[in-house]
Formats: sequence, structure tokens, C-alpha cells
Amino acid sequence: MRDGAIFAKAGLPAVAIVTELFATQAEFVARAAGIPALPRYVLPHPCSGTGDENLTRVAREAVPGIIDLLEGREL
Amino acid sequence: MTLSATRHQAPDEATALEDFHGREWTDGLPVVIPTEERVEAVLAAEATDPDVIIGTIEPGGGQATVEKIAINAVMAGCLPEHFPVVLAAVRAVCDPDFDINNVQSTTHAMGPVIIVNGPAREVCGPIVSGTGALGPGHRANASIGRALRLVLMNIGGARPVHGDMASLGQPGKFTCCLAEAEEASPWPPLHTAFGYDADQSAVTLVGVDSPHSVMHNTSADDPEAPERILRVVAASIANAGANNTQIGNGPVIVALNPLHAAVLAAAGLSREAVCERLANMAVVPQSVLQDVRVRRRVADGDANGDLPTLRGPGDIVLIVAGDPGMYSAVFSAGLAGSTLPVHAAIDFAFSCELPAPQSA
Repeated sequence: MRDGAIFAKAGLPAVAIVTELFATQAEFVARAAGIPALPRYVLPHPCSGTGDENLTRVAREAVPGIIDLLEGREL
Repeated sequence: MTLSATRHQAPDEATALEDFHGREWTDGLPVVIPTEERVEAVLAAEATDPDVIIGTIEPGGGQATVEKIAINAVMAGCLPEHFPVVLAAVRAVCDPDFDINNVQSTTHAMGPVIIVNGPAREVCGPIVSGTGALGPGHRANASIGRALRLVLMNIGGARPVHGDMASLGQPGKFTCCLAEAEEASPWPPLHTAFGYDADQSAVTLVGVDSPHSVMHNTSADDPEAPERILRVVAASIANAGANNTQIGNGPVIVALNPLHAAVLAAAGLSREAVCERLANMAVVPQSVLQDVRVRRRVADGDANGDLPTLRGPGDIVLIVAGDPGMYSAVFSAGLAGSTLPVHAAIDFAFSCELPAPQSA
């Protein structure tokens, strides 16, 4: 989230990618960083350790939404 | 003295305490209600203006003023004479080298350990270095460590699920403060390694896992005793589940009990030499790497296939603490290559007699 905030403050399109478990923390950090509306894309949790097949599926499903957010469209 | 904090009213302290719990201003345990009188008494221990900002504490980004730190110190149960150590500890965690944002936010069970050196151990305490120094029963140790934790939670926003993502956490995150047993140590005090004079006082803070007991029943008849101590401590640093085994590059604390330290010193080893030896010995054999499947590090092994867990002796903060006997301890590393040990001077030039404590 903090990396996303740094990019956004630098004027670059930014999307923070977090898993569900970190969604509340993401909200907190975005507010603390002064960008409460910082775009974020929430992945299922856990991703890590779920195997290449599942990770590939999660990535394929996530990419269009991440591009939408980067281009300023709401999900 | 003018305080900036918002005043809250309650009919009695029991009601106030429930209000504090309800607002999530506590660590889950009861706190001392920070009345104006109690906060002023703690502030009297410091010449610093209450509005002075010591630093910003991430991930919440709250500004740690001297007054806010004093409020949390009162809540933790600190006496006025403890406050200079709390202030120094907060100053230390605000050092960018400590990387407080990651220390607070990580899923690992790490937290800051406060090590106190110099005359402040008595003047601002007593802060215990011996029997059960990290266990319950020592007021200054418990209160000072808890004050830092409350600062990290209330100013830094380190609430579980919000700013603190520790998967399980560990009880050392409630409080973790001890003094070095300088009088029982064969070596110069830890803080002199950072450039302080022995008669100055300083805190050293390290972000680490909880202490892991290291047992060695030494014998005066055993010529191999120094090597055996080094081996068991090194193996404890490089245990299979440690972050440093899996990822590497984090600082660790080695707390040698005075007997183990004396055995090593009698073998001609200085503090620096012990750290040097341990850094070379704390390696993970290739077989263990394969067993636990540390894929990313297998290729980093040396010619024997052994993988160092430390970057060098500078990754070891070596202190002497606890009772002389069988038990020393290793605090495993937290973050990989992010947090570094930090230190800060303790200023306790009390200009007047401190007011009597305001009991809860």
C-alpha cells in the first residue's frame, strides 16, 4: 500500500494489490498515507503457496481489473 | 505546564478504564488513567518541551510528541524516573534504520527489544539485568517496555488487523526491556561499541523474534567448553524455522548469561571475536536447506554447500544478561535486510526532585 501511495504521490498511476486478509490494513495505511481513495485490487487469501495452477488462474482473473483501475475506471 | 491533549471526563477511574478499552487505547490489559497530574509528574522528569516532536511513527503516521509519549508512559505504569528511557526508546524507533513501518506491519512475530546500558539502569530504574529480567515481576522493565508498546499502538496505529499484521504475534510484544549485566560481564558495555562512554546511558533497540532458550551445562573440566557454547548458540541462530535460515540478513540478539560469557572470555575471546566466530558458525547445511526446501537460497551456499544466516558479525547484538548458569538466549531475526539495530542516548539530568508517584 505504501509503495502505491509513493507512486500516486509522484503522479504515476498506481494500484496496490493486497489479499483479502490485508484489506483492513490497506484501508488504514491508505488513510494514514493521506490517500484514502488509493486504488487497490483485492486478491483472495491465501495466494502464496496455493500452487502454480491456482496462481495463474488468480493472475488471469485479476489483470483486467488492475488495468481498469490503472486507467481510471472503477471496478 | 500547559498540556495539549484533549480532556475526557469520567465519573470515576473504573468508568474511565472501560472507556479506554472501548476506544481501543489499551493493549488489552488495564492501564493507569493518565490524569493531568500524573502526566505532568512524568513530564517533570524531562527538561524537553511537551510539544517537541520526537518523530513520526508508522504505519499510522502519528506524531510522537513528548506529551503523547508521557501519556502512554503513565498508562503503562511508568514512574517519572522511567520516562527518560521511554523517550530514548521512542527516539530510537524513529531512526529510519529501524524501519518501524515494516517492524509494525509485518506478519512475523517480531517486536522491539530495549536494552539499557549505563547509569540509567539504576537512576531510571532499577532496570533489571539478572534473574528473570525479561519475565514478570520487575516494575521498570515491565513498564518501560509496555510504554513503548502503547506508543507504537496509540501513536503508530499498530492495532491487530489494522496496522499490525502479525500472524500469531508473541507475548514479548506487550513489553520487552532489560538492562545489560555490565558488572557481571567480562566485556565493555554494549553501548561503548556504538561510541558512548561507559558512564553515559543509552538504549539499544533491536527488532527481533521472541527469545529462544539456549541450554549448555558447562564444566570447568571441559577444555572444549568455549567451542561447545559457540556451537550451540550458532546452531540456535541458524535453526531451520528462523527467518534468517529462510530469507537471511536480519540482526539477532545473543544474550549470554554471565557464566557462558566468562567461559568465552577466559578463552581469550572479546565481544567482537565472539560475534565474528558466531557469524562464521551460524550456517545452515545444504542438507537442511534441501529438507526444508528453502529454494531461493540453495544456490547461495558456500563451497561446502553451507549457507550463512548472517551478513557478518555486525548482525549480532551480543549482551550479557540473566543469571550465571545453564541458560543463554537467542532472539531470532525479524525482517530480512530491512531493520537494523539502533541506539539513542538517555538524558536524565533531573533538575529537581521528582514528585511522588500518583498511584492508580
